[in-house]
Amino acid sequence: MSFIKGLRCRECGREFPAKAIFVCEYCFGSLEVDYDYERIHGRLTRQLIESRPANIWRYRELLPIDGDPTVGFHTGMTPFYRADRLGHALGVKELYIKDDSVCHPTLSFKDRVVSVALSRAKELGFDTVSCASTGNLANSVSALAAHAGMKRVIFIPADLEMGKVIGSLIYAPRLVAVEGNYDEVNRLCAEVAARRKWAFVNINIRPYYAEGSKTYGFEIAEQMGWKTPRHIVVPAASGSLLVKIRKGFKELHKMGLIPQPETRFYAAQAQGCAPIVTAVQEGSDIIKPVKPKTIAKSLAIGNPADGYYAADAIRETNGWAAEASDEEIVDAMKLLAQTEGIFTETAGGVTVAVAKKLIEGKRIPRDESIVLCITGQGLKTQEAVADHIGKPIRIKPTLSSFEEHVKL
Amino acid sequence: MPKKIVQLIFPQKLIKKPVIYTMALKCKVMPNVRRAKVTESVGEMVLELEGTRENLEKGVRFLTKQGIKVEPVVGDVIE
Ligand SMILES: Cc1ncc(COP(=O)(O)O)c(C=O)c1O
Ligand SMILES: [Zn+2]
Repeated sequence: MSFIKGLRCRECGREFPAKAIFVCEYCFGSLEVDYDYERIHGRLTRQLIESRPANIWRYRELLPIDGDPTVGFHTGMTPFYRADRLGHALGVKELYIKDDSVCHPTLSFKDRVVSVALSRAKELGFDTVSCASTGNLANSVSALAAHAGMKRVIFIPADLEMGKVIGSLIYAPRLVAVEGNYDEVNRLCAEVAARRKWAFVNINIRPYYAEGSKTYGFEIAEQMGWKTPRHIVVPAASGSLLVKIRKGFKELHKMGLIPQPETRFYAAQAQGCAPIVTAVQEGSDIIKPVKPKTIAKSLAIGNPADGYYAADAIRETNGWAAEASDEEIVDAMKLLAQTEGIFTETAGGVTVAVAKKLIEGKRIPRDESIVLCITGQGLKTQEAVADHIGKPIRIKPTLSSFEEHVKL
Repeated sequence: MPKKIVQLIFPQKLIKKPVIYTMALKCKVMPNVRRAKVTESVGEMVLELEGTRENLEKGVRFLTKQGIKVEPVVGDVIE
């Protein structure tokens, strides 16, 4: 049963049918999915959600498909827990981690958005899927489209980490490495999208795709015992994840499932690519595109599609934004690993480093609940830390060699 | 005639100059503005450009050369 009402322009509010379109034909604003909330209210209860399998589709009434989901039956319901050792290191009382470094099947939160995008693309009659990616999306579309039996054409910047390239190639997509940065890849894809009848998950399917990120927020609320934290630090590339976590919280409240959210949103970006941080810190309404230069390649989007809306959500909730240098990113990856046993990718390093900065700078108080969004896996970006974590102690296979070299 | 939908980001020094008008005249491109926003330090405009393929390219090159960031909103629409 469908609860989709249609698509609505985020700028002028005009309504459109729920097809494979993504910009308003009047003002060229981006489109967003609108639901029949009145019919969902009362029907979607905590009990119903809790009775369903542990994947993103337990919130299906608030996801943009008409029929039954077809992709992503093992995606979502990732670990959420109190991180006291990291909390102690950062000097805060109540710290939580939402850990999508172990999201199924490709170890980043992108499996959520792609599961929704492919389920919807199938409903809309597509047999070929495509995307422009900073790496994680490429992995996710490659894997989930293989499992869904769809053809897949993936565009990435040519200089991606080896782990992300191999993590796509193994699923045998048509992998296109474009000699340029993500924004150039995206620009090319927008032009290809106008010529091919493919479902570009982050272009013509974007309104549906983006809704998948709400499940990251739904799960946080459910896993906290049906409430929301006071503060949440979110890594931002296009800015969509941040915007959608907030939308997710608002929807749960609207459906009567959680109290009024009083969550402040904080964006985390890398110093070499921080257009959203700049807009927030300068109090500007317009995102100025930048040329990215950072080891956090998954966040290297210089012209963020949802940057304006992310900055707006941050302003509205009295949050803030900050950036982390390459060195701070690596240090934060090590800190998270050595306190909580989580090996996250560079994007997670950005989140932890920025959280540390915001706490030290008194933007986030030390005695209120804080959630850190860990969204990707460290094994994919090994080159970022390889030279900063020491080497194994090499010994001969003898007890004397052990006694000589290994001291605790 | 082919159309192109683009987002333009203007630096402060160009906000007060009639760049779009100049481009329209010089490159024979017809602009149709749909959305615009200006703050103290930067301007943003979303518009549709219509012209021959060659003129559209000329127009975009002209804007870029002035120091405006040109980002496509969708691929070229050919009619
Ligand atoms: C690991 C990881 N975290 C966060 C993000 C940011 O997502 P968004 O583009 O929704 O801001 C990305 C985007 O590629 C990512 O790969
Ligand atoms: Zn509109």
